[in-house]
Amino acid sequence: MTKVVILDTDGEIRARIVGSTGAEHRRLANKVMEEALEQANLSFDEISYVIATGYGRINVPFADRQITELTCHARGVASLFPNVKTALDIGGQDAKGLKIRDGELVDFVMNDKCAAGTGRFLEVLADALGLRLDELGSISAKSKNKVQMSSTCTVFAQMEVVFRLSEGVAVEDIVAGVHDAIAGRTVGMIRRLKIEPDVVFTGGVAKNTGVVKAVRENLGCEVLVPEDPLLSGAIGAAILGKELTLKALAKGEPIQRKERRLEEATFFK
Amino acid sequence: MAWFMGIDIGSGNSKGVLTKDGKLLAYHLLPSGVNYRGTAERLIEELLAKAGLSPEDITYTIATGYGRGSVPLSNEQVDDIRCCARGINSVFPSVRTVIDIQGMSSQVIRLNEKGQVTNFVISEKCAAGSGRFLDVMANVLRIDLKDIGSLSLKSKNPVTFTTGCAVFGESEAISRVSEGASKEDILAGVHQALANKVSTLVDRVGLEKDCAVSGGGALNLGLIKSVEEKLDIQLLMPPHPQFVTALGAAIIAEERQKGKAE
Repeated sequence: MTKVVILDTDGEIRARIVGSTGAEHRRLANKVMEEALEQANLSFDEISYVIATGYGRINVPFADRQITELTCHARGVASLFPNVKTALDIGGQDAKGLKIRDGELVDFVMNDKCAAGTGRFLEVLADALGLRLDELGSISAKSKNKVQMSSTCTVFAQMEVVFRLSEGVAVEDIVAGVHDAIAGRTVGMIRRLKIEPDVVFTGGVAKNTGVVKAVRENLGCEVLVPEDPLLSGAIGAAILGKELTLKALAKGEPIQRKERRLEEATFFK
Repeated sequence: MAWFMGIDIGSGNSKGVLTKDGKLLAYHLLPSGVNYRGTAERLIEELLAKAGLSPEDITYTIATGYGRGSVPLSNEQVDDIRCCARGINSVFPSVRTVIDIQGMSSQVIRLNEKGQVTNFVISEKCAAGSGRFLDVMANVLRIDLKDIGSLSLKSKNPVTFTTGCAVFGESEAISRVSEGASKEDILAGVHQALANKVSTLVDRVGLEKDCAVSGGGALNLGLIKSVEEKLDIQLLMPPHPQFVTALGAAIIAEERQKGKAE
């Protein structure tokens, strides 16, 4: 997913877009940007500063600067929830825990080496169960007797799920067990940060109400989820861009821009 | 006449052997499928038919492997670690370390001169170190599992995988294919990733020579070459690597009988 947020100098969000850009995401970031400009009714030249973040941040040819997703993320989450001390972000291919003090990132843990505990785990298991990702949450809510998953590994869990189905276990009980497995794994990881409330949960997986419930149960405390859990990184990037711009203007310095091209990345060429 | 049977019901394949006086007389393999009991029954029937024997001719049967509880008519169940150690010892008495690469797990076993286990480590939590990783990759690249070893040996420039995870590895392989990497380079990279995982297991129990390989993974020459390079050692290859554990089961069966006679 490519996310774009356009912020004005008052801090109002003028555009927010989550674009599914498919397998060739690096080529198509500009398309999502164009969509966002259309939503904000702005031309590209009117944008003072563009910050790219995330896994593919290097492949955005129209960015003035790249900032790591951890920094952007911490800032974005803190802007939405000023009392946040611990943030959990589970995306499609990684999971991160962030420790935040006064809006600044002070420590983090991360897993991008193993698919278990990432959104990828849910994708693979939803596929094995023949379900859509967006229906997992409501299905698991019906569970009365969740399955205890014995496998950590996504590949083995997929086989385990198929085996459970063949045993006649109810789908909702399997889905609830899967949610519990991913929650247990990520909560186990972020415990290394010494979790303190408020805890905020973001990333695509936070859209799954079943996982949110399981994270809450595993943590034993309240978990806050923003209205649009995918956007916090982009919001943080936009805020950082706004700050850099305003700082330069206040000092009367020129804004450090790059030559921007609103076109597809040439990564593959 | 005293005949002994070892039945190894693995996650992927089921193996059966018949021995007499410690010698391998017949062996047979079937895919395990989902019905272990049915597979075990058919395996025993076909194995006996190969040797021209009937069930009454068998003095003692030991079942082992992941599905060892599903074997009808077995006299005893023994875990596959002990059977593998005993089996490799009967083939190569000098072996002190055996690397057993199976469909769902890998294990490294240390053993003494009698074939008794002195230490072992299993990687079963994660597909990264198991044959399952190879299944996934063979599927992505649309090639037959049995061809991946020889194909990978042609590689000149192995792809480096950033993680050992089979799921992420699958996506990585697809990306590399789209970037134009050759199948042999991807497979060689997969074998290196697996060899790295195996090597961390070996480090945990320590390596004492001689070192042998067993299990279905040993049939993959590309993988064996990667493991040899990683460990900087020459590995001994038994004649029927997939049957080592079943053979060990049959030999333990013979020893049980001898024990009773004495």
